Amino acid sequence: MNRALPGPRILPYSRVVAQDELKLALELHHVVPRIGGVLMAGPRGTAKSTLVRAFALMAHDALPVTLPINATDDRVVGGWDLDALLRGEPRPQPGLLEDAADKGLLYVDEVNLLDDHLVDIILDVAATGVLSVQREGLDTAKYLSFGLVGTMNPEEGGLRPQLLDRFGLMVTAETLDATARHLLLRTVLDFEEELGREDSAWLAAARRDDARTRERLTAARRRVGDVGVPEHILELCARAAERSEAVGQRGEIVAVLAARALAALEGADRVAPGHLRRVLPMALRHRRPEAVQGDAFDWGPDDEARLQDLFED
Amino acid sequence: MAAVAPDPPTPPDPPPARGAAPTGAVPHDDPAHRLGLALVCAAAEPALSGVLLLDLDPRLVDPVARVFGAVLAGADEPARPPLVLGAADRDEDLWTRTRIRGGEHGITVRTGPGPLTEGDDADGAPPLVVVPDLARLSVAGMRAAVQLLGADVVTVERGGPRRTVRPRARWLAVCRSADVGRVSRHLLDRFALRLSVAGLRLPAPGGALQEPGAAEAREALLAGLADTRRPASGRGIGPVSVDDAAIGRARDLLGPDAGVRRELALLRLARTLAALDGAPSASAGHTDDAARLIGVSVPQSAPERAESDPEPPGTGPEPAGPPGTLPERHGSGGGGRPRTRDGARALRDTGPAEGIGTAPGAAPSPAAGSPYPEDEPAAVRDAVPLSSPRRRTTGPVSTRGTVIGTRRATDLRDIAHVRTVREAAVHQRARRTERFTVSPVDLHSNVRAAAPERVLVLLLDHTCRAGDGNWPEVLAPFLQWAYTSRATVQVIEVGAADAADELRAGSFTARGVLDPRVPAALHRRAGRATPLAHGVELAAQALRRLLRRQGTGPAEAWLVVVTDGRGNVPLRAGHTGRTDGEVAAAGVEDAVEAASRIGAMDRTRLHVAVVDPGREPYGDLPYVLADRLGAIVVDGRRGPGTEAAGG
Repeated sequence: MNRALPGPRILPYSRVVAQDELKLALELHHVVPRIGGVLMAGPRGTAKSTLVRAFALMAHDALPVTLPINATDDRVVGGWDLDALLRGEPRPQPGLLEDAADKGLLYVDEVNLLDDHLVDIILDVAATGVLSVQREGLDTAKYLSFGLVGTMNPEEGGLRPQLLDRFGLMVTAETLDATARHLLLRTVLDFEEELGREDSAWLAAARRDDARTRERLTAARRRVGDVGVPEHILELCARAAERSEAVGQRGEIVAVLAARALAALEGADRVAPGHLRRVLPMALRHRRPEAVQGDAFDWGPDDEARLQDLFED
Repeated sequence: MAAVAPDPPTPPDPPPARGAAPTGAVPHDDPAHRLGLALVCAAAEPALSGVLLLDLDPRLVDPVARVFGAVLAGADEPARPPLVLGAADRDEDLWTRTRIRGGEHGITVRTGPGPLTEGDDADGAPPLVVVPDLARLSVAGMRAAVQLLGADVVTVERGGPRRTVRPRARWLAVCRSADVGRVSRHLLDRFALRLSVAGLRLPAPGGALQEPGAAEAREALLAGLADTRRPASGRGIGPVSVDDAAIGRARDLLGPDAGVRRELALLRLARTLAALDGAPSASAGHTDDAARLIGVSVPQSAPERAESDPEPPGTGPEPAGPPGTLPERHGSGGGGRPRTRDGARALRDTGPAEGIGTAPGAAPSPAAGSPYPEDEPAAVRDAVPLSSPRRRTTGPVSTRGTVIGTRRATDLRDIAHVRTVREAAVHQRARRTERFTVSPVDLHSNVRAAAPERVLVLLLDHTCRAGDGNWPEVLAPFLQWAYTSRATVQVIEVGAADAADELRAGSFTARGVLDPRVPAALHRRAGRATPLAHGVELAAQALRRLLRRQGTGPAEAWLVVVTDGRGNVPLRAGHTGRTDGEVAAAGVEDAVEAASRIGAMDRTRLHVAVVDPGREPYGDLPYVLADRLGAIVVDGRRGPGTEAAGG
């Protein structure tokens, strides 16, 4: 019953205008999946969903495994193939969490609107790494691991702190200046126009650029195991997390993983303070007390000032 | 959910001669003409799939829906019956469709995708979804609209069917301008085509306005359109480029604070108008036409569209160019030097911007009414309307909440078909029947998330705190009630020293009193401003939303207001975020006025208390407020159990 999409019409990843921070977070997570996921927050109309889908198409040639906010729990944890059952064939149907474990990614659009009972299921599996299904004649337990990628518009409310913490990195969509906005409009309209043409050179060029990005990411994935993390980087990271009053220790662990991924992307042999500084806002902004207990995700000059002297040498 | 029966196909009548111009200018003061053209554009361009009509006479919803259905179907096909969404629709009504059929071998059950998720791989005219009152659409309906409108892809993962499609349904929603504040801006933003049609009169074929044949009504409505525009709706439009001047013009018209979606929607509309006119590219003149069509003011000095500008058809953008660069596009198409987004070259001058208002959206056309009424400073706004109510574990079984599981059925209400079939399948072999058999013991019903049964709304005026205050002690009975009854807590704060905006009240929803934000809210330092009126208004909105949501409002709600009544920020300042002129007693009067709206609410379920801190002078203000609220007054100096007066 799963009908294939006849050619998704998603703007190519290489043609998504601006939002460099969002792109970097997705690329870091792709290089080091143990980062555990990316949360993207931003106002409406900032291409968050487009970016995630475009990235999946670029990196995996397929749309991401998507958990819609109104999914039923049998589709999330798995159940029986209903049509087969009616024919008398007991055929289990894997759920979205299993699909996500195969692909490495579970995408939730409008994650802050996800119903509580689905959040509970995801948290259970993410926390234990085990999907245990004891229902409807099913008796299975599987070890699963997947990264969560979520997009949300904070105008519609926040996330439960437990779920927030499950996202390794958090990024916020940037506000575009007039030049970038013009370029964005130009790009989207051209893309829509080119979709109507056969053998579009515009689309072919975009696909070539996407392929180059995929090769760059693949190379970084191969290289990242050889990237060293000096001891002073770990100390620096711990002190930065302390200064930011980050809740829990997941923030500094993720920060080191992300810094290592960034070093691999840039072709460095070892992580430098600059790599760490670049990724710290992504790893810590949603673990500060004001973010955990509220919806204040902005990483502002005060946050930068707190870390300034750590990186001055 | 109801469906409007389709009219039988009617051969199109020849359009009456009305002297329509062949192309170009939109008579923007004629709502019928604008509506007809908007429907044609929405039918022709899938990116304009959401049409929001503001202030449409409720009696005209059905006729307009019929016309839109006929426009979508074209002249050769009968219109499809629209899907009508309202306040009662649930997820299982929207996303899937379970069909039970009797046959030679007994009853068969099949659950398949619902009409909302028809993809563009289907044949025939696209389906039409009609929302007669967007402000009263159920939460499930609003969430569906957010997921579907303008989406590249939608995924359905519900019991049984799995589906990933590019949705192609067109939406026709209606909303009063006064009600847009009750609709999420997130949702409003998804409607690409928005126009005010107050005062609309449909041209009636032969005077039969009440029950027009769809095709006849379509012809009557479209009669004023240019010949090139009328038949194009059904067959879509070909590729048309948009020049840079058109893009710059959109930004000028909508203002610098308009979202990208609005700009894109305007440009897509301009492109569609150009395509319907047979122009090879959309120019600034087409952007002006599009703006007039939706009711955005166009300055008189706007450049006229260069109709005579030659442009070779099919001219496309340059293929090459690294990310971040694009060739500059002029009206005549062709390439040009690439422009980097690093500002190496400034944008071309996009013309004068006089006549543009200060609102984030755009200046409304005086003749047509604003398509963006939510941008008005006085627009009231509900908070978090797209979120489902928090699940609570107490209270009776809900019949309309989100499905969170199934259990063995004790009656035939709300049967979970998929679960029932699964249960039956397990026993088929043991039953040794020839056909698939469902027995009564197989029946399962849905378990639904209960809406919150108890709600505590705390309105805290931090500026009335004397010293450290004893709020936890005074409020203890209410907090204990909230704890023992698992009540959801809505906290509204005014006058905190660290408020994000001291002229506005702040608000958050907690799952219960154990949420750390609740005790933190009882100990904030006092600031200078007291936007009490805005706080009371937010409380009224929260209560109204809770009492009506999903048909399962709370059984009991308490509103507890801690204030000395001395509001010093008028309600308008709370809306606009700025003060203008003298305040005088406006802050107090506005708060009292807002309180009277709460006093008129359902008092069988709502109880209100005002905690009086006993500050002088003006010690009677809490009593005035309590009188309007219909509240009891609790003496805040002596703590709980010291009721001062009955309200």
